[in-house]
Amino acid sequence: MRARGCVLLAITMLLAACLRVAIGPIGDEGGIRLALGIPSSEIFALRLQGTVSAALLGAALGLSGLALQALLRNPLASPFVLGVSSGAGFGVAAVLALAYTLSIPAVTFGGEVFGAVVGALVTLTLVAWLGRAREGHDPTSLVLSGVIIGAIFSAGTMLLEQLVPHGLRGDLLAWMAGRLPELPSRAAFWTVAASVAVGWSVLRMQALALDVASLSDEESRSSGVNLGALRRHLFLVGGLLAAVAVAYAGPIGFVGLIGPHLARRLVGPSHATLVPATALAGATLLVTADAARQVIDLGTGRLPVGVVTALAGGPAFLWLLRSGRWNR
Amino acid sequence: MSQAHATKPLLTGVGLRLNYGSVEALAGVDLTVEVGSIIAVVGANGCGKSSLLRVLACVTPDGVSSGRVEYAGLNASSHGDRGRALAAVRALVPQRPEVGAAFSAREVVRLGRYAVGPDEHAVDRALADVGLSARASVAYTALSGGERQRVAIARALAQLDHGGVLLLDEPFGGIDPGEVVRIARALHARAQKGAVVMSLHDPGLARAIATHALVLQAGRAMVFGLADQVLTAAHLTKAYGSPMREASGWIMPQLDAPSFSSQGRMQP
Repeated sequence: MRARGCVLLAITMLLAACLRVAIGPIGDEGGIRLALGIPSSEIFALRLQGTVSAALLGAALGLSGLALQALLRNPLASPFVLGVSSGAGFGVAAVLALAYTLSIPAVTFGGEVFGAVVGALVTLTLVAWLGRAREGHDPTSLVLSGVIIGAIFSAGTMLLEQLVPHGLRGDLLAWMAGRLPELPSRAAFWTVAASVAVGWSVLRMQALALDVASLSDEESRSSGVNLGALRRHLFLVGGLLAAVAVAYAGPIGFVGLIGPHLARRLVGPSHATLVPATALAGATLLVTADAARQVIDLGTGRLPVGVVTALAGGPAFLWLLRSGRWNR
Repeated sequence: MSQAHATKPLLTGVGLRLNYGSVEALAGVDLTVEVGSIIAVVGANGCGKSSLLRVLACVTPDGVSSGRVEYAGLNASSHGDRGRALAAVRALVPQRPEVGAAFSAREVVRLGRYAVGPDEHAVDRALADVGLSARASVAYTALSGGERQRVAIARALAQLDHGGVLLLDEPFGGIDPGEVVRIARALHARAQKGAVVMSLHDPGLARAIATHALVLQAGRAMVFGLADQVLTAAHLTKAYGSPMREASGWIMPQLDAPSFSSQGRMQP
């Protein structure tokens, strides 16, 4: 089942990538229209770059969701549900607004990534603190805390959006909806790639401990797992990956939640295979959503991909919640 | 409890305390466990049975417990990382075991080998000891409550395949009497090279299985000694705060294996 699941995911990923590269706008006298076919080498290179970026961001979100679900022992945890995306978003908006006020070019020194990481880790700390029970965390309190903290940070971001000039406001609004960069900068590309590589390696190295940590805290400790160290790693990996993804693409919802669940259904619960499968599932989901976005907005590029992931992921989340499949 | 020991004890706990906020769950308990011992910890609800087992297992969060715990000379209290060395000398089955992933029964038992290295024979033996060999490939979520409890015991048995101290908190909850006998035999066999400390609510069962008993009252040791001398109506009346009597009507499994004496106590 595990090998078959991985192969199925890889084939789906390949098909989604082919679709994403093959679909795109072409300009003619009547305006822009959507076309399906093999593009010219120049356009192919551009679309391939966008596809790889989407795959990396999807993998980052998927792995972040997996880390957060393991950290909080809650299968409903994800960067979006726990408000981490909103917190990271607020961090980015705050840095951009501050940079604007001080007339500093924030983007040139990676200020938005710094703001996102700080925002994500502060949110995660707050949510974990508010959702704590006598021992461990209460799943309902965690999710509710995440929703409320996320709402507060979203409101803060909107407030900042009102305080900045029109030009920056438009950018912020588009970014808040979750938009994949059409032409990601080289620095952004390598930052996301390096973050995914680090997150993947940490989770893959801890795969066995993560399996044991699915037992109760007492049983995990009794089996020899250093839960304190493991949770520190999960906290950093979950927060960092979500922050980097949000910094470059905005708060894209549901990929971090659905990705790990999709992978679990296909390859089972063992983290040795779940880590690569989740990265693949997250990548597949975001590349597919990006391809779907091209079809829906007829290649104009106006529709943020976050709208597609929310439209598809929202019902999937409700289905998980209602069917109780998140618990299996 | 101080005892004269001819051999080095397998487990020593001195001045064990545990606080939940302002509530003192364990108020300074000493315990010495020798190889071959099966110690039943009994007492009323909230007397500190689970707390004692958690402190002995060194699985409490930092800062809530104090005292010294030693496993055959290994100072477990100073093991800040609750590391792999401890996993080789003790295993805990908590009162409510949890498995938060869709593993099969065998995969859960295999998790017990995390720190001590993979050993499929140990996993097979542990599954056989709890009577789950035929159900090994069944998903944990598809097992009954009693079967899940047996999986948790098997995980601990697989972890300590070569001796050590098994710490079991109400291990027989939801398990039918036939399987209780099977598991009691397995615990007796494991105690030949190690020891077992378990909390039990049924004094009759405790007397049938254990070599020794510790009665706790309000977080303190009330009495400790040989099981049939400690588990008397007088002691239990004091421990539970309700009148208790010793009678043939005391419900306990029929332990008719050769390893059980006519008094119903397992021979060490």
